[in-house]
Amino acid sequence: MTLQSQTSELLPGFDHAAFDSNAVFRVLLDALSRPGRIYDVPVSVATPDGLNATTTATLLAMADMDTTIWLSPTCVTKAATDHLKFHCGCPISDDVAKADFAVARIDDDLSFITHLSVGNAEYPDQSATLILMVDEISNAPAMKLTGPGIKDSHDLDIKKLPASFHAWRAENHHMFPCGVDVIFASPTKIAALSRTTRIEVI
Amino acid sequence: MEQLANNPADGATAYNFAYLDEQTKRMIRRALLKAVAIPGYQVPFAGREMPMPYGWGTGGVQVTAAVIGPNDTLKVIDQGADDTTNAVSIRQFFAKTANVATTEKTAEASIIQTRHRIPEKELREDQVLVYQVPIPEPLRFLEPRETETRKMHALEEYGLMHVKLYEDIARHGHIATTYAYPVMVDDRYVMDPSPTPKFDNPKMNNMAALQLFGAGREKRIYALPPYTKVKSLDFEDHPFEVQTWKDECGMCGAHDSYLDEVILDDQGNRMFVCSDTDYCAERQEAGHRGPQHHDQPLGNASREKAAE
Amino acid sequence: MYVAVKGGERAINNAHRLLAEQRRGDKKIAEIETDQIEQQLSLSVTRVMAEGSLYDRDLAALAIKQGRGDLIEAIFLMRAYRTTLPRFAFSKPIRTADMDVSRRISATFKDLPGGQILGPTFDYTHRLLDFTLMANSEDPLDAPSGEHPVDENMPRVLDDILNYEGLIQDEPVPVDDTAPVADLTREPIKFPAGRDLRLQNLTRGDEGFVLALGYSTQRGYANSHAFVGEIRYGTVSVEIEPEELGFAIDIGDIELTECETVNKFKGSKTKLPQFTRGYGLVFGQNERKAISMALVDRAMRADEMGEQIMGPAQDSEFVMEHSDNVQSTGFVEHIKLPHYVDFQGELELVRRMRAEVEERLAKLEADEAKSQPEAAE
Repeated sequence: MTLQSQTSELLPGFDHAAFDSNAVFRVLLDALSRPGRIYDVPVSVATPDGLNATTTATLLAMADMDTTIWLSPTCVTKAATDHLKFHCGCPISDDVAKADFAVARIDDDLSFITHLSVGNAEYPDQSATLILMVDEISNAPAMKLTGPGIKDSHDLDIKKLPASFHAWRAENHHMFPCGVDVIFASPTKIAALSRTTRIEVI
Repeated sequence: MEQLANNPADGATAYNFAYLDEQTKRMIRRALLKAVAIPGYQVPFAGREMPMPYGWGTGGVQVTAAVIGPNDTLKVIDQGADDTTNAVSIRQFFAKTANVATTEKTAEASIIQTRHRIPEKELREDQVLVYQVPIPEPLRFLEPRETETRKMHALEEYGLMHVKLYEDIARHGHIATTYAYPVMVDDRYVMDPSPTPKFDNPKMNNMAALQLFGAGREKRIYALPPYTKVKSLDFEDHPFEVQTWKDECGMCGAHDSYLDEVILDDQGNRMFVCSDTDYCAERQEAGHRGPQHHDQPLGNASREKAAE
Repeated sequence: MYVAVKGGERAINNAHRLLAEQRRGDKKIAEIETDQIEQQLSLSVTRVMAEGSLYDRDLAALAIKQGRGDLIEAIFLMRAYRTTLPRFAFSKPIRTADMDVSRRISATFKDLPGGQILGPTFDYTHRLLDFTLMANSEDPLDAPSGEHPVDENMPRVLDDILNYEGLIQDEPVPVDDTAPVADLTREPIKFPAGRDLRLQNLTRGDEGFVLALGYSTQRGYANSHAFVGEIRYGTVSVEIEPEELGFAIDIGDIELTECETVNKFKGSKTKLPQFTRGYGLVFGQNERKAISMALVDRAMRADEMGEQIMGPAQDSEFVMEHSDNVQSTGFVEHIKLPHYVDFQGELELVRRMRAEVEERLAKLEADEAKSQPEAAE
C-alpha cells in the first residue's frame, strides 16, 4: 500500500492540537478528581470503526509514543489501530499486561482486567488505566460512590455493568495504593472511578 | 527596541501555547491523572528545563502550563501577594506564552498558582490551586536518600516522623515546625504541603478546589482531589494548632488572616498587614479599616503601643 | 502611614535594562562579537556545550555573551533552549576508536603503538602572564606539522593493548546498538541508576563538582587508585540512520575528549586478577573534566565491584542528585526570594518560646528568693 492511499483513508485528529487536547484533558482531570461525576466531552472528533468518540478523544489527548495501548478484540480494528498509530504514534500491544491504556467494550469478555498492571508499592503510578466504552452513563442510584473527590456521595449507573466488574473492582480497591483507574466512556459522556473510590452497589 | 522586548505579544510566537510542547504536556498530564488517583503520593515525572531558574517555581509553572487553556483566568501569588516580583514574572510568562486573562482577584481566577500561601478566601469547585514545591519529600530531612524514603512510603513507615515531632516537644515544649508542616492524606500518605505556614494547613482539608503540586527540580507531581481528608500530624496531648496574632491587620483590621510583620523603623516599631493582598484589598473596599489605614486618624496606634 | 510596595513589573523591566547596560559595559570599548568568543574563548564555549548538553558553538558563544561570561548562566541558557528543540533522530553510537586525533597520551606506557601525541596543551606552559596578549599583539607562528602523520587507526590502550593480554576487565559492548539508552532529560532518574544514566549525569555535571569528587577519590574517600591509560582528544563524526533510508548518514563532526583510566585490580586466589576501568567523555578539549569523570565513574561502580562505600564519590545517589549546576545554582540562589511568610511563622514561635522560657526563669527566681533564709533581708 502506498503512503498516499494509506493517508487518504485516515480520519482527521483534533482540529487544534493544543486547545482540543487541553479541553479533553481538563475533563479527564475533573472526572478523575471527582469520581462518579458525569462530564460532557467538549470536543467532537472523527471516530474510527472500533472506538467511540469520547474514547478516541481521550486517546488523542493522552497517548503518544511513550504509552502502550491495548485494544480488546472487538476494538482492535484496522481503522482504530491506523488512526491511533498515525495521530498518537503510540505502540499498540496485544499483551494486556503491558498496557498503559486498555480499551474495551462493556459487552466484551472482561476477564482480561485481572491482567492489567496495578503498579507496585513503591511506584503505584506505574499502573494501567482502563477505558470502558459503555452505552449509557447516568446518575441513577445503582452505585453509591464515596472517597476522595466526593463531598458526601455520588450515585452512578453504568448500563450493563456486570457483577464480575464489581468483584474485580472490590479486589482492586483493596490493593491501594496500587490499582487500576477506570474511565467509563459513553458516546458523548465520561465518568471515572479512581482506585480510591469506594463503591456500594445498591 | 525596548518596547519590542517588553511587549508581551512579541517574541513568543516561536513557542507552543503555554510554552511547553504537546508531548511534554501529555507526559505531565498523565502524571497529574495518576496523582489525583493516588492522593498525596509523589509521581515522578520527566520535568523539563524551564526558562526560569529551578527554585523559582518551575514545577508549578509546568503544572500550570499543562493544565491551562485559552479560557482560563490565572492568578499568581507569592507570599500571598500578587505584586511580589516573582509572581509578577510568572503571571507575565503566561500572559505572554498563553495569552490568557490574568487577575489579582481570588474569586475571578480559575487557576491560582501559589508559592507559600493558600488564599484566605474559600476556594470553589471550579478553581484549581497549583503549588510551587521546593522539596516534595516530607521525610527528606529525616532520610536524605530517595531509595529509602520511597520504601518508607510504600510500607507506611512514618514512625520516624512522629519521633522527630515528639523530640521537638520534649526539647522546646512545642512542635517546632511552623511551615511545610507534614500532613496525612486520606489516612495513607504523609505529604509535604509545600512551605506554606501551618496556618494554612486546615484549609487543605476537604477543600472544594482541586490542589496540584509541582516540584520541578525534584521532578515530582502530587495532588489532593477535592474533598479529601488532610490531617496535620499531631499528638493527643499536643494537638495541632495554628499561629495567632495579638494584633489585627493595620490596613483592614482583619483578625482572621495570616499577618506579615512590617518593620517601621529601627526603634522596634512595627505593624502587621495581611499577607493575602487581595483579601486585604477586598476588605478595605468593603469599608473595613485597621488602625494604620491612611483614612484613619492614626497614627500611631502601633507606635504608641510599641513605645509603652 | 504605611503604603505597600507596588510596581513589581516596572522594577523588573528596569532591572533588565540596567542588566543590559552593564553587560555592554563602556561603550567606548568595541562590542565583543560572538565569533570572537567562539574562536578565542573556545574552552568556555566547549564547557558551555558540554554542561548545556547541546553541541552548537555559535549558540554557546551567544549564551556566554548574553550571560556576561557567567558560564553557569550560559549553560542555563543553553539548557532552556535545548529543551524546546524537537528530536529528529537518535545518533548511532560514536566511535572514538576512529577519532581524528589531535592529542593522545598514555601515562601507563612510555611508548606505545600510535605514539604519544602531545598536541595543544597547557601542561608544560609556564604560568607567566604574557603581556603581549594584553597589548593585543598576539600573532602566533603557525604550528609546524609533525614529521610523521598520525596513525589513522590509533590503537586504544585499554581495549587493544591491555585487553590483548586479558589484563583488564572486559567492557561488554552491547550486542544490539539500537537498544534504548537511558536519557535523564526524557525520564525521571530512578535509583539505583544504570551506568549509562550515571555517565550522562557526569558529562553534564558541573566541572567543579566532578573535579572535587574526583579529587576526593585520590585522597582516600574511595579506594580505586587510577592510572590514565589513555586520553585522546580530537574529532569524531556523528551518524544517524533515518528509518526511511535504512543506512547511516554522516551529519557532522564533534570535538571530544575521552579518558580511560586503569584502576586497582580485582581477583582472588582462584580468579585471575584484572585491572578495572573508569570512563570519561566530554565535548571539546577538557581533560580536567574527562579525567575527573573517569575517576568518579570508577568510584560509582563500587556496588558492581563489591567495594565498601567510604566516600561521597562512590554514592551514586549523592553524586547524581547534586552534580547538576543548573539545579544547584537555582535552589541555592532561590533562598534570596521572599520567604517572609515562613519567617513570620518562625518569629512567632521563637517569640512565644522565649516568653515561656522567661516566665519559667522568673518563676524559678521567685521560688529561689522565697526559699532564701530571712536573714538575707
